[in-house]
Amino acid sequence: MVLAEKNSENARNGRRSRGPSPNGHVQESTSEDESSVPVDKIRVGRDYQAICPELQPEALRKPDLLADRALLVWSPTTDIPEIKLEEYIVLAKDKYGYNGEQALGMLFWHKHDLDRAVLDLANFTPFPDEWSVEDKVLFEQAFQFHGKSFHRIRQMLPDKSIASLVKYYYSWKKTRSRTSLMDKQARKLNAPRDEGAPSEGGSEGGSNDDSDHDDKKWTIHRGIRRKSGSPLRAGQAQDENTSQGERGSCSNCGVGCTYTQVTPKGTLCNSCFLHWRRTGILRPTSGPTGGKRGTVPGIRHKRKPPRGMYINHDDLAAMATSGAGVLMLKALNREQDALQRQIQQNKQQISSLKRKHSDSVEELRPNNENSSRINARWTNEELLLAVQGVRQYGKDFKSIAEVLGNKTESHVRSFFIQYRKRYDLDNVLKDYEKNNGPIAEDVEDKMEIDESGNDNSSDVICLSPSPTANKKELNKNSKIAVSQGK
Amino acid sequence: MAMQPHSKKRVCYYYDSDIGNYYYGQGHPMKPHRIRMTHNLLLNYGLYRKMEIYRPHKATQDEMTKFHSDDYIRFLRSIRPDNMSEYNKQMQRFNVGEDCPVFDGLYEFCQLSAGGSVAAAVKLNKQASEICINWGGGLHHAKKSEASGFCYVNDIVLGILELLKYHQRVLYIDIDVHHGDGVEEAFYTTDRVMTVSFHKYGEYFPGTGDLRDIGAGKGKYYAVNIPLRDGMDDESYESIFVPIISKVMETFQPSAVVLQCGADSLTGDRLGCFNLTVKGHGKCVEFVKKYGLPFMMVGGGGYTIRNVSRAWTYETSVALGVEIANELPYNDYFEYFGPDFKLHISPSNMANQNTPEYLEKIKTRLFENLRMLPHAPGVQVQNIPEDAINEDSDTEDKVDKDERLPQKDLDKRITPENQFSDSEDEGEGGRRDNRSYKGRKRPRLEKGDNKDASAEDKNSKDELKPEKVEEKDEKPSSTEDAKKDSGSTP
Repeated sequence: MVLAEKNSENARNGRRSRGPSPNGHVQESTSEDESSVPVDKIRVGRDYQAICPELQPEALRKPDLLADRALLVWSPTTDIPEIKLEEYIVLAKDKYGYNGEQALGMLFWHKHDLDRAVLDLANFTPFPDEWSVEDKVLFEQAFQFHGKSFHRIRQMLPDKSIASLVKYYYSWKKTRSRTSLMDKQARKLNAPRDEGAPSEGGSEGGSNDDSDHDDKKWTIHRGIRRKSGSPLRAGQAQDENTSQGERGSCSNCGVGCTYTQVTPKGTLCNSCFLHWRRTGILRPTSGPTGGKRGTVPGIRHKRKPPRGMYINHDDLAAMATSGAGVLMLKALNREQDALQRQIQQNKQQISSLKRKHSDSVEELRPNNENSSRINARWTNEELLLAVQGVRQYGKDFKSIAEVLGNKTESHVRSFFIQYRKRYDLDNVLKDYEKNNGPIAEDVEDKMEIDESGNDNSSDVICLSPSPTANKKELNKNSKIAVSQGK
Repeated sequence: MAMQPHSKKRVCYYYDSDIGNYYYGQGHPMKPHRIRMTHNLLLNYGLYRKMEIYRPHKATQDEMTKFHSDDYIRFLRSIRPDNMSEYNKQMQRFNVGEDCPVFDGLYEFCQLSAGGSVAAAVKLNKQASEICINWGGGLHHAKKSEASGFCYVNDIVLGILELLKYHQRVLYIDIDVHHGDGVEEAFYTTDRVMTVSFHKYGEYFPGTGDLRDIGAGKGKYYAVNIPLRDGMDDESYESIFVPIISKVMETFQPSAVVLQCGADSLTGDRLGCFNLTVKGHGKCVEFVKKYGLPFMMVGGGGYTIRNVSRAWTYETSVALGVEIANELPYNDYFEYFGPDFKLHISPSNMANQNTPEYLEKIKTRLFENLRMLPHAPGVQVQNIPEDAINEDSDTEDKVDKDERLPQKDLDKRITPENQFSDSEDEGEGGRRDNRSYKGRKRPRLEKGDNKDASAEDKNSKDELKPEKVEEKDEKPSSTEDAKKDSGSTP
């Protein structure tokens, strides 16, 4: 056992001194040499090795009689199409608050009979969250005090098991970042006011955070409006109807409320009033309603509050006083989850489409090039197209060549010289000049530069439909021209 | 790096919803919560519904003492955070306390982790599944009477012991950044289990795993250690993993494989020092899976938990042969995966201290050792796979074919002259396992078609099987029977 202890000592040291220290490599290279003896060794002896069981002879094997030693809770099925299964899970999640595992468990219980499972969903609502608001607050306090020593936290929450504390901790950990986002936003709103540098504060948080934030506020607001009862709705309506300075709404934050205070700064709601009385300045506010009220719009803009965030005091009061608030929040959470799920699903879809798209581009690319092989012979159609091209592009031979597809710039140039008389190209050029102004040398140069730029881009995004579309259009035009000519 | 279509397999997955609730202690890097995160990702990726999901039973004391000593397990069962002071002496003896703390529910945690791996092994023995996954297992440092490196009960050893009842030879592969010392030690003197461990070596936990540690007694040459340095990237890892595993498969010819998928070899791990991506790590799974042997995948290390769950989710999808999107689905722990919310991770710019020459040197040394194996074929045959290896790195599909064909010849050659008679009779037993549940549905195909990996896989197997059956029927049957009798009577 001395050996064992020594070994464990080493093991511990090894663990502690791990890491990419340069010493490690020196050590390693020396241990490669035969001279050094490794300290840790695999030990041999009865106390260390496992005793391998005899191989059971084929004849004596009874694999069917082997106990599974595990409980089957789900087995895959091919009877239910993927989409139906997805629908079922979403239904169970959104309507009945199941998680995906419970939903599938229910389906499995009914032997993959989808209809019966759907009917049964309502009969078993999953255990409601056994964590009351008080528990949560207590946990937060205890956590602040003890950190992650769950047995200490448990002293404040004796009715919870350690397991349940750990589980709650891991789900709470992420929501904590959510609330801290709120705090961050609040700080952001306050900071510029004090420092007088609003734009800096606004751009502080990463774009990621911001967008996340916007989403959330938007959901909350919408949720309140939709889900809460009539009094809130009335409040909102009132808010929309009342105009500036009228009784029942705050001139600072623009939120409708029942009680207002008249001050030298205007009619204020309770919160704004208290803030003003305490600090001597108007409470910083946000939201589109504020803008309507004609307070300096410039400052508002710079501060960039979350889109669509406004607070109605009646809403807040309702949330704070009635127990319905918790339910409401729960519903909102669920809705948010559903939306997030949707977002990620959409992202997955987009990326898979993108991949498919880029794959097919690869397939099409060589074909495209093959079809437009350079050919110096001019067909009648191409000649007509070229004339039309001169009308449209003047002496920008490169563009014309591009439109034609199978001619180079010099081909077009020689065409211009060769057929100048025959097709009366000077006249055509005049047409062009009428439309586009005279062809000056520098204009031509510029055009070329522009075109070369376009050229590059069209090389990169090969499948962009514009070149072919242009061609078609041109084709049509030329046909019209031909018919006119006749 | 293009994804090939994977072959579809029946996959069983072992998970207990309580496993995430165990907590090693404040500041301890091992977080069982990562298993729950993985599970949640699997659920939301829709992979869950494609597998058989099992809730493992808790391993009994009886089951655990198949490997561990009685007093060690008794100690684990009785110790609790509130009675620790009474066990001071035993805690020292069993190395419980610092790296392996006593935490609430310690014994249950061990029971669940071990229960999963044992149940997975039983399932494979029943031939009811081709691949079994237990991310809660893989605790490879635990010794017979000693906890080590965050591991208390060695579920892998227990699982392999279960497999050995039905399989003559079991291969254990370890891609954790730490040396798989517990498993290696447990099977150091047997030729029925070959342990192959790829790990960081030199001033690093647990300190074992030297290139020259090759096993002892009957087990000499049956322990394979690949000591590596900091900064292994996907490319160099594959360049050493593929040839060595190919060679091992060819010479050892296991009838079942256990892969420990320790995710601390990923880039950015809190304790690890390699630079693998999720894709590179998953390639090992993909490669081993291609052999089509009964296959058990277990977890292991992994201390940057968001990456652990990424890797294990991806590896589950590889096992299932399903492609999953790079965008993570929304899940209970979505916020953990910010800011990009993607499945795959990119390597860091850390220097790779494993030069190609170094890796080549290791490879040569190991090949020399593997040549010493009694099953090893003659020299002429041996050269062939080395050619194949070079091709492996770009087109893995060919591996099976190129290697299995010589194997077939090899089988023929070995049978008559093999002195290791007990491995002979049992080897046939192991193969018979394969035959009875695989491939039968698919008739022989033409060999020409190189593109379809899965077809190839089965194809080569089909070619193998009939011969093996003949083999058994003709030659060693009489001796075999005799041995069986003698084996079962005492």
